[in-house]
Amino acid sequence: MTRTFGSWPRKLAVGWLTLVVLTALLASVLPLPYSPGVPDLLNASEPPFTSGSHWLGTDPQGRDVLSLLVFGARTAVLLTLPAALFSAIVGGVLGGAAGFCGNRARVAFPYWLLAVGVMWWALQLPLPMLGVAVAALGAGLAAAAQLRENTLAAWPVPINALVMGAATTLDTIPRLVLVVAIAAGTGLSTTGLLALFTLTTWPHAARLVRAQMLRVRTLPFIEAARAAGVTEYRIWLQHAMPHALQPLRTAFPLSVAGLLGLESTLSFLGIGLPPNVASWGRLMATVRVAPDAWWSFIFPSIMLILSIISLSSLSKKQ
Amino acid sequence: MKPTFSGSLLLFAAIALLLQGCSSPEDKSSSIRVRWSHDPETLNVLQPPSQPAFDAANLIYTSLLHSNFSTEKLEPALAEDYPTTQYIGDSLTRLSYHIRSVATWDDGRPVLATDVDFTLKLMFCPGLPNETAQLEFDFIRALIPDPNDPRHFTLECRGQSLEYPQSSGEFFIVPEAAVDPKGLLRRFTLAELQRLPPNAPADSALVRVARQYQAFAPGALPGCGPYQLSAWEKDRYLTFRRKEKWWGSKIQPTPFVLQARPSQLDFVIIPDASTASLALQRGDLDVFPQVPAREFARLQNSSAARAKLAFYSVPSYDVVTAGFNTRRPALADALTRKALGRCFDTAGLIKATQLGAGQQTVGIISPLDRANYNDSLAPLPFDLTAAAAMLRQAGWRRESTADDAGLVRTKAQGELQRLRLVVRYRAEESTFATAALQFQAAAASIGVAVSLLPTEAGSFAATLKSGDFDMYVRTLKGNPFMFNYVPLYHSRALGQSNVTGFSTPASDRLIDAITRARTPKRKSQLLRRFQTMLQTEAPIIPLFFLPTRVAANRNLTGLHVNSLKPGFAITTVERSAVPSPTTTP
Amino acid sequence: MAWSLLWRFSRTLLAVWALASVVFLLSHHDTDTAAQFALSDSSEFVGSGSSSDSAKYQAAQSAVLHRLGLDLPLFYVGRITFSPSGASQWQWHGFANQYHRWLTGVLKGDLGTSFRTGQTVSARLLQALAYTLPLTGTAAMLSVLAALGLAQRLAAGPWWQRPVRTLLVSLHALPLFVVALLLLLLFANPEVFAWFPTYGLDQPTTLTASPWARTATYVLHMVLPITALILTALPDLTLQLTASLTHELGSDYAATARAKGLSGSAVIRHHALRNALLPTLTQIAELLPALVAGALVVEVVFALPGMGRLLAEAAASRDYPVLVGGVLLTGAARLLALLLADLLYLWADPRIRWQP
Repeated sequence: MTRTFGSWPRKLAVGWLTLVVLTALLASVLPLPYSPGVPDLLNASEPPFTSGSHWLGTDPQGRDVLSLLVFGARTAVLLTLPAALFSAIVGGVLGGAAGFCGNRARVAFPYWLLAVGVMWWALQLPLPMLGVAVAALGAGLAAAAQLRENTLAAWPVPINALVMGAATTLDTIPRLVLVVAIAAGTGLSTTGLLALFTLTTWPHAARLVRAQMLRVRTLPFIEAARAAGVTEYRIWLQHAMPHALQPLRTAFPLSVAGLLGLESTLSFLGIGLPPNVASWGRLMATVRVAPDAWWSFIFPSIMLILSIISLSSLSKKQ
Repeated sequence: MKPTFSGSLLLFAAIALLLQGCSSPEDKSSSIRVRWSHDPETLNVLQPPSQPAFDAANLIYTSLLHSNFSTEKLEPALAEDYPTTQYIGDSLTRLSYHIRSVATWDDGRPVLATDVDFTLKLMFCPGLPNETAQLEFDFIRALIPDPNDPRHFTLECRGQSLEYPQSSGEFFIVPEAAVDPKGLLRRFTLAELQRLPPNAPADSALVRVARQYQAFAPGALPGCGPYQLSAWEKDRYLTFRRKEKWWGSKIQPTPFVLQARPSQLDFVIIPDASTASLALQRGDLDVFPQVPAREFARLQNSSAARAKLAFYSVPSYDVVTAGFNTRRPALADALTRKALGRCFDTAGLIKATQLGAGQQTVGIISPLDRANYNDSLAPLPFDLTAAAAMLRQAGWRRESTADDAGLVRTKAQGELQRLRLVVRYRAEESTFATAALQFQAAAASIGVAVSLLPTEAGSFAATLKSGDFDMYVRTLKGNPFMFNYVPLYHSRALGQSNVTGFSTPASDRLIDAITRARTPKRKSQLLRRFQTMLQTEAPIIPLFFLPTRVAANRNLTGLHVNSLKPGFAITTVERSAVPSPTTTP
Repeated sequence: MAWSLLWRFSRTLLAVWALASVVFLLSHHDTDTAAQFALSDSSEFVGSGSSSDSAKYQAAQSAVLHRLGLDLPLFYVGRITFSPSGASQWQWHGFANQYHRWLTGVLKGDLGTSFRTGQTVSARLLQALAYTLPLTGTAAMLSVLAALGLAQRLAAGPWWQRPVRTLLVSLHALPLFVVALLLLLLFANPEVFAWFPTYGLDQPTTLTASPWARTATYVLHMVLPITALILTALPDLTLQLTASLTHELGSDYAATARAKGLSGSAVIRHHALRNALLPTLTQIAELLPALVAGALVVEVVFALPGMGRLLAEAAASRDYPVLVGGVLLTGAARLLALLLADLLYLWADPRIRWQP
């Protein structure tokens, strides 16, 4: 632990992040003069540090900037951070698999039967029970093969093509189309939003990790491990992945900022969080309607920048 | 790898400073530059799809009647005078128009009744983008030409209404000779085209006419208006030049609606309001209509901007309105709706969103319309105590199990109703968001649980139509000419444009009586009753009328800022050599 | 090698087709909204003269659907729900469907016509690309060069490394519209510095000016948008490249090279850069689709025409032919970029084998 808290910048970073997390967790019990969802219509767009009781001023809708910052920290810690983490994990695993296996990974044919059967049933194609039967057959064959330890015919799965294709599709579909297709008019729950964030941001991580993996898998120690008889799966997980995930160290803190931006864009399109949930991104976005209300932009920016600098200094190697 | 970032920036700065000399003051005298936030996309004369498209079409084409922006009335433009009205029996109206004898197309041909007839038929020609026009003008049953005078004709209309003389003259006239030189459409009568079944096999003559109409590039179809489209760069600008021989100027004195003062008009498309404001301050732009409230106030308070710009703010006919889905059992009674209506702090909303420039109202008729506005009513007050009392009166009580679980009531059949509301509004509008937030906070204090659902602008209308909402906050766009409330509140429009789902036999009768009223006095009596009815039944809560804000270069005269769209008179603007004295009202 | 390239290329084509089909099917889901854009929304107008019968309105709506070709079934097969029982079943619709019509059109090189303007989609896309490519192309080139230059110096670890990194991270935290608005409010504001013009590519009045003056005006108009784009692309690129350069410098071969007496910058340039480029290459390759897709925010703030605005407005107003055409174009660019990135990996690190 002493190593982690080594230098001064690190101590500061840890301190700041702890503060943000504590604020987020204690947001509802903090003695704030105003609640973040209640607009003070008579004092809308009030500058900070003036006579009024709003210390950091109000946004153009009359909401207290200080409360928005505090409750925005909660949203950031409970939504943005997990979303960034999930998309890094999903992207890392998928990108790593795509880079390592390429299109050559093979899957024994009972599993193919299983997958086709389940698909048949899920799509409710004619005679859905046929699908169940096919799936059952696949499962049975797989179990039998497992017991008798004999190898079955295997067909290749183009993992690389599948992952990259999915990533490309998600990147290229205009966000509005996606939004309308996924949540046309019904709005999203917090979990749904988390899923949507993960869905739209993992491709970037996947590309970075795949690119690194392409290089890592040609390194001598992988060959050495293979020669030593380590299984492919273990080589991937224990030898290749730690190196391939390297680019995410830099990318992860930056992706938090990207997600905050995405959150405000989605709100603008009419999906995102309900307007009574505070968020730093949305507070920053008010600069668009009121460029002269600098306070509603500067304060969340400072919070965000400090948090990202802290995250990135923690993610660096000592 | 030498050109690093800082280096390139320095290079750019140097280029910029060098070039500053080249782009010295441009010749700004001739053209008037107006900001539009969107490209008009198409100038379809039959049904201009947006306000910019309508304004652009208005320069190229002319209609029989035209809004006079200084008096805010419809006045004869292509027609010599208002039509004469003749009621036949109790279900037909005949309107006789006479086209001005000086009116000509660009090639010198006169504008005749056959052109009007052709335009009406084109509106019902299948395969053309004319569906809205069909809905709007299907009350005209036939055009009866005058055998003795090719400029004189009579429109025969179904039904009788005080508004027909106005609404019958509000479409742009298309030249028959340019689109249909062979007179293919003359073989059909208007009634035949109107009766054409939607899935009828395509008639070759109609297909030919439709193709010929669509072969014209946007704005290239000749019109009898004062301007010609001389350049259209998509998403950048549209330039209009005044015709050298414009027939309107032969009439002396030229009526207001036929005046065409600027020799060139440029409409520049600037999506972002801050950018437009900067351009206006720098003199790269002359007129900035619909300035956002805060930007307007900021400019008014800046001495540098005051020296260059003039500011105008007048009330408009657009009203911010909250509405209820009356089909929901919890919102089916007027008492609950009226109680909820008292949760809107209208005065505070006007202060916060419009900086005090809006106007509270009792109904959807503007207080500007002194004859018809019902001034004996008072706007709903912001009164939470009264609201809570009214809710109790309507049978709502707090659920006994938990304190913040909201209000419930038991109906006669023993079913339990809950008062939980979903408020929808267009996501990108901050005025609606502020109103919804304020309502949510106020309603929460009297125990009503409200959740907000900002909705993507495109799907908003469809969602309301499908009834997937409890309340909405939106702008209703009005005008001083038409009082036809059938689309909004009649039972005939249920499932379509009557999104509140409100209708009673009495309200249906009242709305029908308004459209049929024969004298203005009778009509205004009925309209006053209609406003009272809307306030007692409260299917909607009209909050306030929005202002129109226009900022323009101070050396412009003849702007005639007014309550109609687009907010000022484009064709009478002139640049005076001497800056005009401040005209800020 | 040639075979492998051909195989990859055909796979890319297949992927473009799949992508465009997905978007086509996703977007055409919602035809009623598209029809409503063609009709005026009469629930929004007080006292419109429009005839208001629900039946008439419905008829007008189906006329719009018919005119736009949206009244056909969407795909070859679809699920039909039987209203009384609520049961649903798959049904074959035959070849008279929207997807078939669109696909045959695309194969003949016809992307369709825009719902809103009646213009052909390809003309509209080409027009927008002609504006977008110079803007985004210049910005991408300059930011890659700047990132390469900056990262090499940062990796050498000079004293100013930490503040510059902090600055870059802060810059990255600012959304693009903030950067663009700040630039505008600083350098095109008569109250601060009015060095650059505020909007557009040129003024309508300069159409008659000499070619030299027109070029000058054009360049002047592009300075702020390009700067905004560079400022937003730079931090990510530079930080990633610096990180992998630092990582490479810590490895054995770099230590060996240094032991041979090479200077720090020489080690970076001759040894580490090539290896470090790998993850960054993905990012650089990703700039290619961004070139085609345009930069919506910058286009909006500086009132420039281009692909970003075209596609955003098409999506907002459900102009499906333009939208799908645009996605086809961007998707093709993205998949080509992927191919290009793979080729570049091969160049940067010949040990990487091509996958079958």
